[in-house]
Amino acid sequence: MHDAVMTNHTAAKAPTLYGVVAEYDTEQKLLEASRQVRDAGYTRWDTHTPYPVHGLDEAMGNPQPVLPFVVFGAGLTGTLVALGLQTFTNAIDYQFVVSGKPLVSLPANIPIVFELTVLFSALTAFGGMLAFNGLPMLYHPLFNLPRFARATADRFFIAIEAADPKYDVKNTRKLLSATNPSALEDCYDPQDGKIPFAFYVPGVIAACFALIPPAIVYKMRNTRSPDPKIHLVLDMDFQNKYKAQSSSAFFADGKTSRPQVGGTVARGQLHDANEHLHTGKIDGKWATTFPFEVTEERMKRGQERFGIYCAACHGYSGKGDGMVARRADQLMADKKESDWVAPTNLNNESVAKQTHGELYNTATHGIRNMAGYASQISDEDRWNIILYVRALQRSNNAREKDVPPEELAKLTAQEFTITNGPGLHQRPEATPAAAPAK
Amino acid sequence: MSAHTVDSSSLTETDVRLSATTSKGMGIAAAAGVVGLIAAFALGGAQGDKWKSFLLAYHTAYIYFISLSLGALFFVIIQHLVKAGWSVVVRRLAEIIAANIPLMALLFLPTAIFAFQAPYDLFIWLDLEKQKTDHLIHAKHAYLNQGFFIVRLLIYFGAWSALSWFFLSTSLKQDQSGDPKLTLLMKNVSAPAILVFGLTITFFAFDMLMSLNPHWFSTIFGVCFFAGSAMGFFALLALFARRVQKGGQLKNVVTPEHYHDIGKLLFAFVFFWGYVNFSQFMLIWYANIPEETIYYQHRAVGGWFAIGMLLLFGHFLIPFVGLLSRYAKRIPQILCFWGVWLLIAHYFDILYLVKPNFEMNGERYVSLGLLDIACLLGIGGLYVANLLRMAAKHPLVPVKDPRLDESLAFHNI
Amino acid sequence: MSTATATTSPESLPDNTNDDPNRRPALVLGGLDATAVTEEVCRVNEYKTPMGWYIGFGISVSILGMLGLMIAYLFYNGVGVWGLNSPVGWAWDITNFVFWVGIGHAGTLISAILFLFRQNWRTSINRFAEAMTIFAVICAALFPGIHVGRWWLAPLWMAPYPNQMAIWPQFRSPLLWDVFAVSTYATVSLLFWYMGMIPDLATLRDRAKARWQQVLYGALSLGWRGSGRQWSVYEKAYLLLAGLATPLVVSVHSVVSFDFATSVVPGWHTTIFPPYFVAGAIFSGFAMVVSLMVPAREWFGLKHLITMRHLENMNKVILATGCMVGYAYSIEFFIAWYGGNPYERFAFINRAFGPYWWAYWTMVSCNVLTPQLFWFKKIRTSIPAMFIISIFVNIGMWFERFVIIVTSLSRDFVPSSWGYFSPTFVDICIFIGSFGLFMTLFLLFCRFLPIIAMSEVKNVLHHDAPRGGKGHGHDEHGGHEKKDDQSQSPNTVSTAHA
Repeated sequence: MHDAVMTNHTAAKAPTLYGVVAEYDTEQKLLEASRQVRDAGYTRWDTHTPYPVHGLDEAMGNPQPVLPFVVFGAGLTGTLVALGLQTFTNAIDYQFVVSGKPLVSLPANIPIVFELTVLFSALTAFGGMLAFNGLPMLYHPLFNLPRFARATADRFFIAIEAADPKYDVKNTRKLLSATNPSALEDCYDPQDGKIPFAFYVPGVIAACFALIPPAIVYKMRNTRSPDPKIHLVLDMDFQNKYKAQSSSAFFADGKTSRPQVGGTVARGQLHDANEHLHTGKIDGKWATTFPFEVTEERMKRGQERFGIYCAACHGYSGKGDGMVARRADQLMADKKESDWVAPTNLNNESVAKQTHGELYNTATHGIRNMAGYASQISDEDRWNIILYVRALQRSNNAREKDVPPEELAKLTAQEFTITNGPGLHQRPEATPAAAPAK
Repeated sequence: MSAHTVDSSSLTETDVRLSATTSKGMGIAAAAGVVGLIAAFALGGAQGDKWKSFLLAYHTAYIYFISLSLGALFFVIIQHLVKAGWSVVVRRLAEIIAANIPLMALLFLPTAIFAFQAPYDLFIWLDLEKQKTDHLIHAKHAYLNQGFFIVRLLIYFGAWSALSWFFLSTSLKQDQSGDPKLTLLMKNVSAPAILVFGLTITFFAFDMLMSLNPHWFSTIFGVCFFAGSAMGFFALLALFARRVQKGGQLKNVVTPEHYHDIGKLLFAFVFFWGYVNFSQFMLIWYANIPEETIYYQHRAVGGWFAIGMLLLFGHFLIPFVGLLSRYAKRIPQILCFWGVWLLIAHYFDILYLVKPNFEMNGERYVSLGLLDIACLLGIGGLYVANLLRMAAKHPLVPVKDPRLDESLAFHNI
Repeated sequence: MSTATATTSPESLPDNTNDDPNRRPALVLGGLDATAVTEEVCRVNEYKTPMGWYIGFGISVSILGMLGLMIAYLFYNGVGVWGLNSPVGWAWDITNFVFWVGIGHAGTLISAILFLFRQNWRTSINRFAEAMTIFAVICAALFPGIHVGRWWLAPLWMAPYPNQMAIWPQFRSPLLWDVFAVSTYATVSLLFWYMGMIPDLATLRDRAKARWQQVLYGALSLGWRGSGRQWSVYEKAYLLLAGLATPLVVSVHSVVSFDFATSVVPGWHTTIFPPYFVAGAIFSGFAMVVSLMVPAREWFGLKHLITMRHLENMNKVILATGCMVGYAYSIEFFIAWYGGNPYERFAFINRAFGPYWWAYWTMVSCNVLTPQLFWFKKIRTSIPAMFIISIFVNIGMWFERFVIIVTSLSRDFVPSSWGYFSPTFVDICIFIGSFGLFMTLFLLFCRFLPIIAMSEVKNVLHHDAPRGGKGHGHDEHGGHEKKDDQSQSPNTVSTAHA
């Protein structure tokens, strides 16, 4: 018997006739017999061989399998999934640039596109084969025949089902015995195919256990726990290193952060003796000149740097209407009092009349709410910015005589409406600029 | 009764000898060839650019046709090496295509004449000045110099002519005697032959194509050229077989089973070409090193970008899908449609390898016109004429090959 | 009952390596029929386990145990227990990975590519080789898994699932392409191997006496009953899988080569890497198959099925792929000179004459010189010679990966960064341990699963007849009444080749 698991013999129905089975010992006989059965018009019948016999599909009249088309469709799906996955994750949902490559790097995506195409196709080929073949099917009435065991070894079988419309107890047997089989017998199906209780119990138990992980996840996501986190990998979570603001048992003053070692100068901190360049003073007095020759290049550089560092608050025109200021105004709009101090309008006289050195000093150390930019902008660049600020001041306070004649001609030819109101929430002109902080 | 399996003993003279009508084609092809060449020279001279455009057009067409014969030689060698049975019915056709190499050696003369003199427009490294002053050319001048180049050319043409002559003549000898020892002889020669072939085609590609930009290099370049050549050959083989059948020969000899296998190999080499070219492109793109990317930068704009896209879709993606199905490979008309398609695509591949390396009047050279057609007609006409000439002289199948019956009875999976 | 059993002594086995063009040689010797084939193969699983198997298994499991201990030690202490340093950040770990993946490729080639080429001789060895592929891929996958510093995070960056850190994998990285490629390869190989086994598992099921065997083989064979309709779909699926596995196997080792070739490191960045690696993989894989097959056919008494012809063919493939590897070495070397790039030129001089010269010359002598012995038929058909040569080839291919990875890393652009790598005992023990894993799985396979594809061998038994259009199964009795262009092709391989 070939039922993988024996059933408990509960009240079985009477065995029914499955069909008639003929056995052959060569593939030639099988082929011949198959043609006869096919030509006789039977539809519910099958052959059983230990290997795929050459020519049998034709002899049986088997149709071409549809599997290739299904697999092709699956492959195409794989291609699209791979393209979609890579584009979505790296180019849409969380864009980041790696090695300067474009967000959608098609050449880099091809390997995975290919792999997923093959994977989807292969899984479908296998799964499709099982599906089209009705596998797994652990029980089949033919397994009740002891001789049928040789169907997978060295014998060839034809089985015609009793359910076939052309089936006739006498004639079908006659047809088959005329094909010279080595054995011809009827196959009965005991009809006791109840699923044993033994299958239900593990199934139910497994189903119960399968509910546990989602339940745990649900609980975790919807409750809070006062317990500390479980640390599986201790030396990642508790690293042997000191953090900047922590206390230290090692040093006498108890601090982890150490001052600069006496008598040393860090890289980038060694300044030459150029007082003018580094402090904005000449012999202790504020410089009124630039510490270098003024060139177009420097002006452009100053413009660029101003746009990066200063324009956010002071605005591109220096009027103090940068995005930060405008946003602050929005936020403060319905508040009666605020401690928001607007960025200075750099074109004001109070600023314009300061020396270059004083402006440099402000940029270096900051003033009022403005932080110093010494750590972000190099000394030279700060001077370049001041150069540009001077240009801004001049342009914002320009008179007709300052405009080149061609430009003037162009401007006068057109009509303009000039609005030159003060920046929003400017400090009044009258207040003298506070002494620069030192 | 419909098509039955033919036995080698039942093959008749009409089955295997080229008919007169097809032979007439030989005359037409030869005439077209001569006309084409004259037109090419005329147009080339009329350009007034010291034969530069002529050289480029001629070189492209030249490489195109010789690559088909190289693919054929590869096929013949491999079929002997692996003792293949299915291919015997088409092997003679392949032997004939391979035997066109001596003609191609001769047709190299125009290139040699114009390229080996100032202003060295094609092989710029021939310029002795550049060998001294350009540091990259100087670094390789021990290899890229006229003398060694000529020696190598003699080796390539010599080896290939010898091999193609050997396989064709031995096969013809077997037509008389049917001696199975000749099959063994050809098999034994095929093993060292494939090594010689592999090395010669690689260095041929380096010399003829890669050195056109002597600042650039790629280790897989020889393999890329080989892939395209083999693919072009299979396309040509399908067309040749069909042409012969249309003339009434080999009627039940070359069957859909054989076309199926030719189609499978054609498909395989379409894929392989795509694979090696993608490898080259992606690796160069990924590392983004300027001395390598210059190759693709030259091909990234304007006309060359369009041709690159044409190659991606026309040489790879579309034929890949088109040749996937069984039926496309088993129905000769469909297979030959793809054969023609891929032969055109192969020409664009060679074009893409040759022309973008050059500038004309300070701009990247992109041109495809009458001059190219004339060169194709010229070289191609003579090529086809010689094919037909050889085909007319000999039986179209190796009539006494021991594996002929196996090939005639062949059934595909 | 079987008509011819394996009683013919090995010495009197006919030589089927003849090259007579008039006939194709027999692939199954001793005149075995289907019954005898079934007996010969099933006997391996059904007879009482020989003592030799237990001894072998004991050794393998011990080595596997050592592997487990070493990995635990590695995980606990971190990757510093290896000899890796700066600049050599990859050494034995990745060498071993590429080594094992490469070995796996032979199985797929034998199964899929030789199937597409209608090489019937593959039927005796494909099951064996496919099993070797699966186990080799498992050994390979081990190394990327353990070589990351924070192994507990590996699943996070490999799999594209939404996670707490709001990160996605970096799809532009070849290391991730590797993950997809090797996983796909493992899956498809497993499917192909298992699908091929279903009919043979059914054979074992139908012969099984013990209950546990009936249950095991019954479940695994899914109720297969050899139905003609089922065979039809099965054959189509087999062909599809073979057609898919062929480009897959090429792509997998190409993607592995991309790990190196996409970089700018001299000696790594070269466009020929993909096909060169694939050729090398097939080379080492076939060598491993020969190394395993020579003892296996002896111990399991399978000489009628795995004949000298099979071995000779495999040796020819080894020779061919060895020549391809040699070709790639030469072209790399030539282009390094031709390109004029001083770093690239140095990389190759360094390989041959630098501190790792011993590894380089081992590689060249094992990979290029040794296989050349296979030009001689006497050596190709000599069991001791081929066994030794196959071992050498595997050693050579391990060294090839080592040379590529370590020499280029140890000396790249800036001399002040140069450094020498030496392995630690952990490196060495983990590598040896991986062989333990491989052999354990392999011995289990030999014991419990059908090691030769019986149904496929039976299929080709009848097609060894001499050529000539006669005695050809499908030609007789009007086997093909309609032969038009649309004819449905029969569902089996039709001609015996090689």
